[in-house]
Amino acid sequence: MKLLNVYRSEPNDDTKKLAEIVSEGRDAESFDLNVESPDYDTLVDKVFAADQTICWW
Amino acid sequence: MSKKVGFLLANKEYTLDGTRSALGLAVENMYAYAYVLNNELTDVSDYHKENIEWIRDMEGEVYTTVDANVENLGMPKITIEEIGKQLRDLDYIIPYGIMRSDKS
Amino acid sequence: MAKSLGIFVTSPQNMRHIMGITRAAKAKGSKVKVFFTWYGVHLTKCANFQTLCELADDVSICVDSYKKCGYDPADIPKGLEAKDMATQGQHGAIIEDYDCYLTL
Repeated sequence: MKLLNVYRSEPNDDTKKLAEIVSEGRDAESFDLNVESPDYDTLVDKVFAADQTICWW
Repeated sequence: MSKKVGFLLANKEYTLDGTRSALGLAVENMYAYAYVLNNELTDVSDYHKENIEWIRDMEGEVYTTVDANVENLGMPKITIEEIGKQLRDLDYIIPYGIMRSDKS
Repeated sequence: MAKSLGIFVTSPQNMRHIMGITRAAKAKGSKVKVFFTWYGVHLTKCANFQTLCELADDVSICVDSYKKCGYDPADIPKGLEAKDMATQGQHGAIIEDYDCYLTL
């Protein structure tokens, strides 16, 4: 399963823990939206390639 | 096959509406689960209590990490680790709204 | 053919991301649906909301949330029609009918 973790803000301890458990043993990668100029083109490619995307707070 | 959806509700300003949204999917024949993280619900109206009951009636559940919600609203207690394990089995995971501003 | 994309908006903070992602997805030939609920409906008052409506294939909002946030349901945001003042069923439609899903 290909999983994409997207972070809308700096993850707190709970978010980190949940993302870690959900991602364990899976083909997981992350994308940080909490930057000045996110590369939306790359993000959309990653979303299309993933089986599941989670947009954490 | 019915989809399984989990709402993560980490901000009191969003939690009750999140349960309404979860019910909205339950009535669309999905399995809807909600997880109330680190926020104690006060002044819960009968309308929202009924929403929570309806989610349960439709084979969903509203869990919480907060003891007061267990005592006052009958929500089953759950830990962050247990939530993480449940989320692995869900088709859609929805961190609802915004994270509360203080550290939780 | 590009996958279709549904965006469920529950936060009032992410208009730039909604615009950026919708533009990028449309440039790839994707069909895009956006549904706004709870405090997300405040984004209907952003200057670029109408542009989003022109860009995306389908935009709708939760009229119940719009009302609870203090707006008059008769005051339909520019870019929307009366049929787009909708219910949580639109969220269900995203999950059932679209290939990919984002919460913003």
